[in-house]
Amino acid sequence: MEELQGVPWGIITPIFIIQFILLVVALIDLAKIHQTNGPKWVWVLVIIFISIFGPITYFIAGRKQA
Amino acid sequence: MRELIVLFQKEWRENTRNYKFLWVPLVFIFFGLSEPLTSYYLPQILDAVGNMPEGSVFPMPDFTPAQVIMATMGQYQFIGMLVLVLAFMGTISRERKNGTGTLIYVRPISYINYFLSKWKVVGLIALVSVWLGLLTSWYYTGLLFGKIEAVDFLAFAGTYSVWILFVVTIVLAMSAWLPTGGAAGVSLLLVLLVQIADSLLGAYWTISPWKLSIYATEWLTGSPDSGDFWWSMVITIVAIIALMMFGVWMSKRNASKTKV
Repeated sequence: MEELQGVPWGIITPIFIIQFILLVVALIDLAKIHQTNGPKWVWVLVIIFISIFGPITYFIAGRKQA
Repeated sequence: MRELIVLFQKEWRENTRNYKFLWVPLVFIFFGLSEPLTSYYLPQILDAVGNMPEGSVFPMPDFTPAQVIMATMGQYQFIGMLVLVLAFMGTISRERKNGTGTLIYVRPISYINYFLSKWKVVGLIALVSVWLGLLTSWYYTGLLFGKIEAVDFLAFAGTYSVWILFVVTIVLAMSAWLPTGGAAGVSLLLVLLVQIADSLLGAYWTISPWKLSIYATEWLTGSPDSGDFWWSMVITIVAIIALMMFGVWMSKRNASKTKV
């Protein structure tokens, strides 16, 4: 695990923070929204497992704006 | 004036509620961050996942700070433009489809204010996103590669902002003219395909809005040919105004197509 110590976490952490914010906001919105395009459980998987493009795809295509 | 403020507030509220004020900037910041980082750690990344044969030496190009910023802009020119088009393709056309249009168009509104309120909010989101992303990229480039003078950076980001406004105006005008899908298609065609065509055949002309992004990067290494640059600037601004007039006219003409 000595490789992990060489990683400069200070400058890499912001990337994970951004991904995390997007993921959480997308999930919160998914929980609150009435209806989505396609089944909701698929969107849960997409948001969680496709790192950054998952939440983006959900915001673009998933929300049914009625 | 009151009408413009009210419509602006409506637009503002809509874009906070569908989180566009949050996720569009985050996406641009993400690419502003990841581009300098991946360029910097490319040797280590290749080492870890590249499966290189033992003892092979791969000469790494030494990136200059300007090249890293250009690479970030390269990401924006493709993924960023895709995000902008897809996020805002339905700004006007979706209102016609889902009935919001009916609620607005029955009032005696001026379509100039209607279009302007949307243009202001969408333009604001796009510019804030791009600036936040570029500033992040600038900061990280300074940290990892070396300094770029603030004056050069501001000239670059300023020029690029005009291009962003051009793209936003295209998307809104197309959204006023066509249904959502068509608006996305034509906007992508105009933004991405023309961009490729311009870079392939562009040697024959030097003045076009699609050249602005290239002229923007030239501020980082020196300065673009001032005649070509200013003429492209003027042409782009004229195109933005023309597209806005087209958008206003089309939202008026298509008002009757709204679903009740």
